[in-house]
Amino acid sequence: MSAESQAVPEAVLEAVLEVRQLTVDYPGVRALDAVTVAFRAGEIHAVVGENGAGKSTLMKVLSGSVRPTSGVVRLAGREVGFAQPADAMRAGIAMVHQELNLVPTLDVAENVMLGREPRGALGIDVDRATQRRRARELLALLGAELDLAREAGSLSVAEAQFVEIAKCLASDARVLIFDEPTAVLGEHEAARLLARMRALRDEGHAIIFISHHLEEVVAVADRVSVLRDGVLVAEFVRSEGALRGRDGLAAAEGTLAAAMVGRVLGSIYPEKGAAKDAPPALELRGFGAVGRTAGIDLVVRPGEIVGLAGLIGAGRTETAEAVVGLRPSSGEMLVEGSKASFSDVRDAMRAGVAYVSEDRKGRGLHVTLSAIANMTLPTLDRHSMLLGAHVNRRAERAVTARWIESFSIRCARPHAPMTALSGGNQQKFALARWLEARPRVLIVDEPTRGVDVGAKAEIYRIIASLASHGLACIVISSELPELIGLSHRVVVMRAGRVAGEIDRSMLAAPGCEERIVRMASGIRVEGEAAA
Amino acid sequence: MTDGSAPRTFSLQRFLERWGVVVAFVLLFTASCWNQGFDFLNPENIRALLNSNAPVGILAVGMTLVIVSAGIDLSVGSMVVLSAAVGLTVVNKLIGSEWSEASAVWMGVATTLLVGLAAGSLNGALVVLGRIAPFIATLGGLAAYRSMALAIAEAGEIRSQSDTLFRKFGREGIPLGWQSTAADGAEPVFRGLLNAGGKPLTLPYSVVVFFAVAIVAQWFLSRSRFGRHLVAVGANETAARYAGISVEWVRFRVYAIMGLLAGLAGLLQASRMNSVSTSGLGVAAELDAIAAVVIGGTSLRGGFGRVWGTVLGVLILGMITNMLTISGVSPYWQGAVKGAVIVLAVLVQRGSRA
Repeated sequence: MSAESQAVPEAVLEAVLEVRQLTVDYPGVRALDAVTVAFRAGEIHAVVGENGAGKSTLMKVLSGSVRPTSGVVRLAGREVGFAQPADAMRAGIAMVHQELNLVPTLDVAENVMLGREPRGALGIDVDRATQRRRARELLALLGAELDLAREAGSLSVAEAQFVEIAKCLASDARVLIFDEPTAVLGEHEAARLLARMRALRDEGHAIIFISHHLEEVVAVADRVSVLRDGVLVAEFVRSEGALRGRDGLAAAEGTLAAAMVGRVLGSIYPEKGAAKDAPPALELRGFGAVGRTAGIDLVVRPGEIVGLAGLIGAGRTETAEAVVGLRPSSGEMLVEGSKASFSDVRDAMRAGVAYVSEDRKGRGLHVTLSAIANMTLPTLDRHSMLLGAHVNRRAERAVTARWIESFSIRCARPHAPMTALSGGNQQKFALARWLEARPRVLIVDEPTRGVDVGAKAEIYRIIASLASHGLACIVISSELPELIGLSHRVVVMRAGRVAGEIDRSMLAAPGCEERIVRMASGIRVEGEAAA
Repeated sequence: MTDGSAPRTFSLQRFLERWGVVVAFVLLFTASCWNQGFDFLNPENIRALLNSNAPVGILAVGMTLVIVSAGIDLSVGSMVVLSAAVGLTVVNKLIGSEWSEASAVWMGVATTLLVGLAAGSLNGALVVLGRIAPFIATLGGLAAYRSMALAIAEAGEIRSQSDTLFRKFGREGIPLGWQSTAADGAEPVFRGLLNAGGKPLTLPYSVVVFFAVAIVAQWFLSRSRFGRHLVAVGANETAARYAGISVEWVRFRVYAIMGLLAGLAGLLQASRMNSVSTSGLGVAAELDAIAAVVIGGTSLRGGFGRVWGTVLGVLILGMITNMLTISGVSPYWQGAVKGAVIVLAVLVQRGSRA
C-alpha cells in the first residue's frame, strides 16, 4: 500500500518551499498546530480544509504577511524569515489574491509590469515597447489574448485574473499561490484557468492551490494536504492517474470532504419537494435589464426552486438586479398575478421580492458593521418607534438571536463587526436578513461562493426547506452540480437571453451537466436549437 | 476564522484608539488646572471657554454626521456668514421699516436658520442630484456663499440695529444663582470661585444650545433609524442600496441638517458680536470643525462616528487655545500647536477602523 504512495515523484522533485512544525497562535486561538508540508517545483499542491481550518493562515505565513509563533520556513533548503510580503515576493513567492489588486486606470501592459517597468533611454522614463513586449509574452504564456492598451477597470473578472497572474509571473515568481482562483469564474473560464495552471506546473513552477471546489482539486492536484482545525490531518498524492491516500485507495471528492470535516458526509443535497401547481409567484414576460438582457420569459411558482445557469456575463445577476429595482428594466413583470415595477430594493421588499447578492462582502452585507446592524437593516422600520427617532435595540437583539439559533450560525459576539465571521456564517446572515422581511419570492445569487462544504450543505437545506414552506426561489449559480442538485428546473441563459430550459426529469438524466454547458456556450445540441 | 470568539487581551494601542480622546481631555484639563490653578477653574473662564466654542462646536456636531456618511462639508464657514448676514440684514430692514424690535428679531432668527437650511439643501442637491463629489460641491459652496455675504455688505460689517434683544442669544444665559449662596459659610477660595468676578453666574444660551444639539445628534446617530442609515451609507454605499436604503435621501438630509446647524451657529455668532463681519466671520471654521471631528475619533472614511468624541475634540481645541493665550503664547504660534495635536490624534487612532 505504502509502496505506491512512495513511488510518486517525491524522490525526483526537490522541495522548493517547506514548512516544518509550523505553529501560529492568534489571541485566544491556535490557527496552525505543528504543520509540516513541503511544496515542490513542477507540482500542483492543493491545500483544502473548511473555513477556519488554517489554510489562509498558512498562506499568509508563506507570503510573509504573518510571522509564525514557532517552526521554520525553508526556501530551497535555506531557512527564511519573511518580515513583510515584499520579502516573500523578492524571494520568488507570489500570491494571486482573491481580491484582485489591479490599478483600474492603468492599461493591461502597465498593470502586468507594475513595479518592474523597464527603463527607457533616459533612465527615468519607461520603455513602453519593452513593457508591452514583456506583457504580451507573459499573457501569451497564460493563453490569454488581451488588448494591452485596455484599461484594467474595463476588464471582466476572468480577464483581470489573468492579468493578475501575469503580474506574478513578471516578478519571476517560482512559487505561485492561488487563493480560490476559480471562485469568481464560470465553469468555462475556470477550466481555462486550470489548464494554464497545469502549463505553469509543466514549466517547473511550484503551484499552491486553495479551493473549495473539490472536483477541481481532484482533477488537477498532484498532491493534496488536508487541514482541519489547524492540524494537517491527511495527505493525498497522485499516482497512476488518481489521488491516493496512505491506504493507496483512489480518493474522490467524498474522501477529501470526509477528511476535511472529520466525518462521512451524506449527500449534501436535500430531497426535492414536490413542486406545487399554484399560480406563479413571479412571472417575467419579455423582461430584461436595460442594456444587458432582454426578452426573458420566466415563471416561478410557490414552493419551486428554479436554477439559473449561464456563463459569467450571461446577464443572470443583471436580470435579478433589474427585478428588484437596482437597474432599469424593460418588459413586463407580474408578482403574484399583478403587474409590478420596482424603483428600489425597498419597493421590491414591500411587494415580497428579495434578492441576496452574489457579492457578499461588497454588496450583500456591511462587513464592517455588526451582525445585529446587518440583520435588521432592511427591516429597520419594524423596530423603529416615534417616526424612526428610536430603534428598539432589545427587539433587534432578539431577532438576531432567533436567526442565529435557527440557522445555527456561529457568532459569539453579534455586536462585533462581521469581518470576524467565516464566509458560511456571513452567508447565513445575508439570507436571514432577507427572510426576516418575509418575502414570497427569493432570489439568491451564488449562495455558496467561498463557503465550505459543511456550511454549503446547511445552506442547501435552508433553501429547500424554505421552498417546501411555499417560498418561490430562484437560485443563480455557476456551480452546475449545485443547480442540478437543488433545483426543480434549470433555466439556462446565454448572452442576455434565455437559451433553454431543463425540466425536472431531464435534470435527473445523465449527461444533463453537459447539456447545460452546451446551451450556455451556444453549442448546438442534437435536435434542439440553442438560442 | 475565530468566529469572533477569541478572548480579548488588553492592548494599549486598542485602548488609545478607542479612548484616546478621553485621555487627552483629562490630561489637558489637569494640565490646565496645574498650570493656571483657579484662573482656569474660575467659572467665568469656563463660561467663556464654552461660550466661545459653542458655535464651532455646533458645526462640528453637524460635521460628524456628514463625515459618518462618508461625506465632507467645506462650506460650513461660508454658510455661517451668509445666513448671519442675511438674517441681520432682515432684522435691520424690518426695524428700519418700523416693525417692533421683537418681531423684527424673531423674523431675523427664522431667516438665518432658513438661509442655512437652504444653503445646506443646495449642497445636498448638488451631491445627490448633480452627482458631484461632496468635496467639490461644498468647495463651490465655500467660495459662493462667502461671496454672496460679501456682496450683501460690500465686504464690510453689518451692525445690528437691535441693541437689546438680538444680542441676548449669544451673550446671556440662564442665571444659576450661585453667587449669593457662596457667601455664607463657604471657604474663601470657593467664594471667589463662584463669585465670578462679581457678575451673576449664568449658563449661556449658546452653551445650552450646543449641548442640546450634541445630545440630540448623538441620540440620532446611535439610536435612530436615520443614524443607522447614515452609518450604513458611510460604511458601504452600494451595500446600503442593496439593503433597500434610499442612499440619495439619506445623503440629502445630512447636508440639509448641516446647513441648518450652520445657520444656528451663525445666529449665535452674530448675536454675540451684535454684528456680522462678512470678511471675518466663519473663516476657516470648516477646518476647526473637521479637526474636532477627527480628534474625537470619527473615521474620515465614514461608517463610524461618535458625537461625544467630537464634543471632547471641540473642548480640547478650546482648552489648548485658552491655555496658550493665558500662558502668553503668541497667537501666531497657536496654529502650529493645534496642527500638531490634530496630527497626533490621527496617529494614535490610526488603523482603528481600517
